Order: sequence, then structure tokens, then C-alpha cells
Amino acid sequence: MNAKTKAHVGTLLLAGGFLLFLYGALTIIVDNAIAFSTRTATAATAEPRINESLFAGLTFAGIALMAIGLYLNHSWQTRRVVGRSLTYFFLTLGAVLMIFPFFWMFSSAFKTAQEVATFPPKWLPSRLSFDNFVIAFAKADFARYFLNSIIITASSVFFTGITTILAAFAFSRLKFPGRDLVFTLLLSMMMIPFEMLVITNYETIALWRMIDTLPALVIPFLSSIFYTYILRNFFLSIPDSLYWSARVDGASNWRYLWKVMVPIARPSLVTILLLNAISAWNSFMWPMLIINSPGNRTLPLGLYVFMTDAGINFELLMAASTVVVLPIILLFLFARKQIINGVARGGLKG
Amino acid sequence: MTQNDRMQYRKQKRLQRSAAIWSALEPFAYLLPFMVSIAIFTLYPVFNVVLMSFKEGFRMLTGQYTAIGLGNYTYVINDKYFANALTNTALYVAFVVPISTVLAVVLANLLNRKVRGMALFQTAYFLPMVTSITASGLAWKFMFSRDFGVINQVLSWFGVDKINWLQAPSWNIYALIIYGIWSILPFTIILLLSGLQNIDETYYTAARVDGAKSGRIFFRITVPMLAPTIGLVLTINTISSSKVFNELYPLFNGRPGHSYNLYTVVYYIFDQFYSKSKAGRAAAAALILFLIIFVITMLQQLIQRKWTH
Amino acid sequence: MLVEMIGLTKHFGTTKAVSDFTVTLQDGELTSLLGPSGCGKSTVLNMLAGILPPTSGQILFDGEDVTNLAPERRGIGLVFQNYALYPHMTVLQNITFPLEIQNVPREERLQRAREMAQLVHVDKLLERKPKQLSGGQQQRVAIARALVKRPRLLLLDEPLSNLDARLRLEMREEIRRIQQQTQVTTVFVTHDQEEAMSISDNIVLMKDGYLQQQDAPQALYNNPVNQFVADFLGNPPINHLYGALKNGQFVLEDGSAAFTLPMDVTAIQAERPLVLAIRAESAEIAQPGEQAVFDALIESVYTMGKEALAYLKVGTQEMRIYIDPDEGHQAGENIRVALKQRGVFLFDRETEARLL
Repeated sequence: MNAKTKAHVGTLLLAGGFLLFLYGALTIIVDNAIAFSTRTATAATAEPRINESLFAGLTFAGIALMAIGLYLNHSWQTRRVVGRSLTYFFLTLGAVLMIFPFFWMFSSAFKTAQEVATFPPKWLPSRLSFDNFVIAFAKADFARYFLNSIIITASSVFFTGITTILAAFAFSRLKFPGRDLVFTLLLSMMMIPFEMLVITNYETIALWRMIDTLPALVIPFLSSIFYTYILRNFFLSIPDSLYWSARVDGASNWRYLWKVMVPIARPSLVTILLLNAISAWNSFMWPMLIINSPGNRTLPLGLYVFMTDAGINFELLMAASTVVVLPIILLFLFARKQIINGVARGGLKG
Repeated sequence: MTQNDRMQYRKQKRLQRSAAIWSALEPFAYLLPFMVSIAIFTLYPVFNVVLMSFKEGFRMLTGQYTAIGLGNYTYVINDKYFANALTNTALYVAFVVPISTVLAVVLANLLNRKVRGMALFQTAYFLPMVTSITASGLAWKFMFSRDFGVINQVLSWFGVDKINWLQAPSWNIYALIIYGIWSILPFTIILLLSGLQNIDETYYTAARVDGAKSGRIFFRITVPMLAPTIGLVLTINTISSSKVFNELYPLFNGRPGHSYNLYTVVYYIFDQFYSKSKAGRAAAAALILFLIIFVITMLQQLIQRKWTH
Repeated sequence: MLVEMIGLTKHFGTTKAVSDFTVTLQDGELTSLLGPSGCGKSTVLNMLAGILPPTSGQILFDGEDVTNLAPERRGIGLVFQNYALYPHMTVLQNITFPLEIQNVPREERLQRAREMAQLVHVDKLLERKPKQLSGGQQQRVAIARALVKRPRLLLLDEPLSNLDARLRLEMREEIRRIQQQTQVTTVFVTHDQEEAMSISDNIVLMKDGYLQQQDAPQALYNNPVNQFVADFLGNPPINHLYGALKNGQFVLEDGSAAFTLPMDVTAIQAERPLVLAIRAESAEIAQPGEQAVFDALIESVYTMGKEALAYLKVGTQEMRIYIDPDEGHQAGENIRVALKQRGVFLFDRETEARLL
């Protein structure tokens, strides 16, 4: 066999193998899908109507043929096509695994109690009913928890925003003795885990007689060294000449900050506030320490308490979980780039 | 100078003086809210936790204590639950950090290629990072369920018997690790991805022109140039994984493992302080945790400095 | 406005940026602060603006002491090298910003901004953001913003350095036009002597924080007070021949050449180390029978259209002169060089002071 025929045979095998693979894999998927849609409400599980092992064999044979094809024809064009396909394949596989728990959460939120308690588990609910949400909201005051979460998230974002803007401005633009030394000391504080501070902070809040109040959830987090650090760096990147132009024009520091710096730093600021909102919304340990009465629970805390109360009623738990994650998921869909940007600068955890 | 001139002059001087006073005080006015809250909720607790760790029999609120000494430390170090917590945490870190880093390096490289549907992929990969641990943990709890769990179903395709992830104590930590990897992966990918994007495209072009194959490019160019980022990721992830705590609540109903077998260090601190009202012991354990984290960070910095000369 | 700086001094720690700087700027004139980088010219500008407080000395605006006055109360306009336009505002918003701060009524604000935009020719760009403008356009907007509040003094800090060569020429003329139209007293900081020469009524030349000379551009060029001033102005740089006087003749250091100078040197002590500075246009190929003539060898010739620059060897030293490109002189040719009266200076080798 000369090189040219080898290459042709390789291409042929690749194409044939791919078709075989598609045929085998798609048949299995389609058959399962049909089995889902045609089963009756009473039937506990949907049985596939085809010989699954036969088609699985076809699928694997397709993969093998493609491998041989690639061995025979490995010109760079072929390699490129195969490489890109593999990239997509693995990316999709990874994406499915990462997103699966959410799919599972949402899908189970609509299942009935019977559908949840079956093996093998059912991938999709048999009907679309919001019963679970209604029951969950009736069993625990999720509306109240939701409102509490909104309140503490909004006030945390508001107050942290203000303290961060003012402090970042002082640390970047204003001059006072020991400024950079103080800032470096503060930065070294970032290494200290919150877990170490939590004991004393609990004591402080208790001394102030604020245990079991909503403000106690916000007050310890009024300022963040990390967010101030990010914003200060951005402020430092704004040229001095802008400041002096404004000063010469008669703008005070205060006016310059709000009229020039804050508008210019808006992308950075939005990122910081988004990160802050996410961590305020999701915070669990601190509310669990501080909050006792049901009326003051936040969503994650309410969800946890609901779990210990509701036991293993997974359909209800998944409905409640959906309520907790949905607002943040929507936020993420709208502001994906800014959030990812912020995290890339080292944030959120740590 | 006439009387009028002199008054004018004095007025101007006074204006200048008050302007000078304001410009000296102004920075502190801006700093006040920040500094006050940092002082009360960050600086003071740092000193206080050190003091507290030496106060034996310390009672919160009344502030009474029976003695000053190392009693809290000796108790914690000899406590078998603390030893258990240390082992579990170390095991957790030892699995989660390397596995998530390797997976993230691969996935970040795939994501760094110019693929279509980037928005979709990013959403899928990064969603676990922004969602509540309590909520996603519940989904995992359901997936780990012995009898109705989807994980056992998938395993059954490969002929694996049902595993009792959450109720069999020996399997608890693996459930925690799998869940931990999933939840830390997005953050790791993002850091590595931004590291990858900082590598100059020309290195790849040059290597390709020299005829290097993609595998060689990956190991000879990508990985070494990514080394500083990998070092950073290892440090940050080691620190955050050694603080594993919140994850226990949804998986094990707020207990450290099904039968109190899976204490972690932070859970131990929390338990001593909150459930057992032993703030001094909690403070001592917290300081030990900080010390460990500090040493690990320093070690990693040292190794990294040697490695990247 | 009459601007007086009296004994102005600025120290940063132990570095002395500006020392005992005394200069008066006349009303309505454009003065260039010229000097190599690090000479203190920007420090002087920043002190005029009130950005930096002087260590000692006084600044008077029309006789009023403004030394310790805050920038916003000095009535100045400021233009930076990087233009410092607010990136989030449109051109119009940028220009009206100073008026907005002064609480000028909205109608008047817009009208004055439009007038100013017309003056600097950006009236068609009012709705754009700075990012959508070219460097020259940004510069125009920055000038408009500085002038809109009718400052008593306009300060320009290296305003042309960020522009490419062609735009620089254009903006140079524009700044001159705008200044003459508005008659605002202007200080223009630059390190480019050509720029300063072409634009200013008056040049203040600085070195190492000290004033060297203040004069009209041509006077500065024709009559430098010391070797630094002579060296700094002019392109190609002025030629140096090192030597001393012997028997009324200028003898090169190693005695490789000697010739008579076109000036009266009787007052100068013989044997004193000297620098003979000759501008490239102040020497020419000698006509037969001319005075003040010496021998030279052409090393190379660079023709640039209407003129040619010849690199000469005089004894063991080198110099450059302009020659007529059409006379066909070539490398390797021996010529005789004659010195003109103008553009030939003698400096003391040690003190760099002008002797003749």
C-alpha cells in the first residue's frame, strides 16, 4: 500500500467509524428518550425496547475504526479535525459533570415523592408541577428567609461599597504619614482566616446584645481589606494628572472621588460588589452562630434547618435548594464576565 | 499697610490655616468607617484570640478565667478528636488539592483553545463557585444516596455494588472529597485560565515553527510557564481546603460524618466554642490551625522560589 | 498676568530639584521652560500650579503672593502630556466640567464650552468620548478644558511629547495661534529646543535646577551666556574644538592645527584651556584670500536636498559644517575652512563661561 491509498483508507475508516459511533450512541439515547416519554405515570421505570449491549458494541466498534483510521491517515489536517473534536468532546463531558448536580436539583424539585424514591433513579419528572415548592413554602417560612437574605445582601453591598470606596481613595490618592506602612500591615491581615476571628466577633456581638438580630449578620463585614485592596490598585492606575486637572478646575477631593474616580472605576467596583453580594447571600457559618429565631433566618440557614426538619424528603429539599441557588444563578448568567474577572484576581475564597 | 489691608491679610491667613488643618485631617475622615470596623472585627480579634488561647476555663461574656497557661493547648493536642480532625483534614487536602489541580490544568487548557460556545462552557464550569454550599451540598447528598442515588446507578453500569457513601463511616470522607473537588474546581480553573492567558502567544508560534508537537509544547512550554500560577493555586487551595467545614452540614445533617468520625479542624474549633462553650480551647485550636497554614504557605513559597529560580 | 518667581527653591529630601530660581514672565507672553529631563522645569510648573509647595521662595501673580494658595484658587489652566481627559465623559462634558464645579449656570456653561470648542476646532466632536479621538484632537480638547474657565495663566506640561512628528508640528502652530488669539499668559514646558525656539516669545533655559538664561529665542541662540546654552540649542549640535591661544592664534590641544580667530582675542590669557564653539552654519569653504582660515579633510558628506553636511577632520579633532551639495565635494578631499563672525563663541574649558 502506498502512502496515498493509506491516507484514503484512513479517511474512509475515520468517516465510517464516526457514522457507526453516531448510529450506536444516538440510537441508545433516542430509545431512552422515547422510553421516557411513552411510559405511563404508574410505571415505575422505563424499560429500553432495544438490545442496548448490541448498540453499545456498535458504538465502541465505531471508536475503534476511528482509531485505526487516524493511525493510517495522520496528516495535520486530519489531526486538527480529530483534535478539535476531542477538545469539544472532553469539554462537553466535563461541563455535563459539573452542571449535573444542578440539573439533578432542578429536575428532582418537580418529581413526586415516589419518583424520588426509586432505583434506578428517574432522570426527569413525569409532570411539571410546583407542588413541592408550595409544600416547602408552607412547611418553612422560605418567603421570610428570602426577604432576610435580600435585606442582608443589599445592606452588606451598600455599606461595604461605601467603606471600600472611601478607604481605597484614602489609601491611593490622599497623603498622610505612614499610609503605605499601614496598608501593608492590613494586607498581611488577609492571611488570617475568618475562622480565627469568629470566636471574638461572636463575643463582641453578644456584648452588644445583638445576638439573633439581622444587623449582626452585616456589621462584622462592613469593611473588607481584600476589596479595598482591589479597588485601591485600580485607583492607583488612574493617572495623577487627572486628579490635578480636577483640582486646578476647583474640584474638592470629595467631588473628584464621586465625579471622576468612581465613574472610571465602575467595572472594578461592580465586580467587587458582585463578589460581595455572592458571599453575603451564601454565607452560612456566621448566620448559624448568630441566628436562633426562625424569623431571622437567611436562606442557606433556613435550608439547613429545613433539612434537619424535613428529613429525607428529597423532592422538597431540592425545591427549597432551587429557591436558594436560582437568584445567584441568574446573577451569574447576567454578570458572568465580571464575576469571573473578579475571581481571577484571587477573590471569593481564601 | 492700611488697616483694611491688614484685615484682608489676616483673613486670608486664617483661611489658609483652616484649609491646611482640613487637608491634614481629611484622609482620616475617609478612613474612619473602614478603620473602625477593621479594628473591631479584624485587628482586635487577632490579639484577643491569642490572649484567649492562654486563658484556661475562660467563660465568654463574664470574661472570667481560672488560670493563665498552656492548659488549652495541652488539652487540644491530647484530644483524640483533634487528632482525628487533623488526620481527616490532611487526608482531605491530600486528595482534593492535587486532583483538582491536575483536572483544572487539563480543563483550563481545553477552555483556553478558541472554542465556540465559550459562554455556555464557562457557565457550566463556573456555576458551582457562586452557588450556596448548603444548597449544592443537598443535591450531592441526594446523588450520594445509597438506595436512590444517581451515583450508585452510574456505578452499577460498571458492575459496582451500591455504596453507602453517607451512612458507612469509612466511605464518608470519599463523599466529602468528591464533593470538595467539584466545588473547588471552578475557582482553580479560573486562576489557571487567567495564568494561561498571560502566556505570550508568540512562544507557541515559535515552538510550532520549530516543529514541536502539541504534547511537547504542553510539557515544555505551557507547564513551566504556568508554574507560578500552579504554585499560587496550590497555596490558596491548600489554605481553603484545610478550612473545610460548611460542606459537612448538608452531607451529614450537621454532624462531622455519620457517626462523628469525620471531624475537621474548623469543625472542631466550632464545636469546642459553640456546642461545648470552651472558647479558650477553640482559640488554641484556631491558633494551631493558623500556624499550620502559615508553615505550609511559607514552605510552598520557598519551594516555588527554588523551582522558578 | 505678570508672574514673578523670586528665589524659588524645591528640595525633595536631599535632592535639590530647583534652586534659587528667579524669573519674571510678562503678561500675554508665551514662555517656554526648556531644559534636559531632570532639570527641574516640571517642578517649576508644578509649583506655579500649586501642586507642589516650594521649599522656599515666593510666587507672585500680578503682585499678589500665591505661594501657599491651593491650586483651585490660583485661576490657572493646566494641560498635561497625557491630556488627562476624563475617560467617562464626552468632549462637551469634559470642557464644561470646570464650569460645572464653579456653579456657572447651565446655559452659560454650554455657550462658553461651544465657543471654546470652536476656537480649538473640536466643535464637531462634542459628543465623542476621549477614546474615540486622535492624539491631536485629545490635545485640543484638553486645551479647551483648560481655557474655558478663562484662566489668568495657562500651564502646558510637555503637551506635544505624546504626538507623532507630523501632528507635533501641526499642534505647535495651533497652540501658538490659540495663545495669540486669547492673549493668555502661557508657560510651556518642553525638552525639545526646536519646539521651544519656534513657539515662544521667551525661553527660560534650565539645568540641574538652576536658571541658565532667559531671553527671546533668537537672542538665546545668537548670544548664549555659557557653553551649556550654546550646546543645548541648535541642530546639528554646535561644534567643539579644544585648544588654547598662543601668539594670538587658536592652537588645538595637541598642536595639530593652528589658525587665527575672526574676533579680538587680546583680552584672553594665553595658554588658558578653551573651547571654540562653532555652529555648523558659521563655517564655510574658504574663498581664496579669506581671513581666519584653516585646513581640513572631508571625511564624509551627507546630502539632504538643499544642503549637505560635511564631516571634517581638523588636525585630530572633528567638526561638521554645511556645504553646497552642488559643488561636488567628496570624502578624502582637502579643503580650507573659513569662520564667520556670527555663531562662533569662545568658552572657558573649566567654568564653561562665555569669554567671547
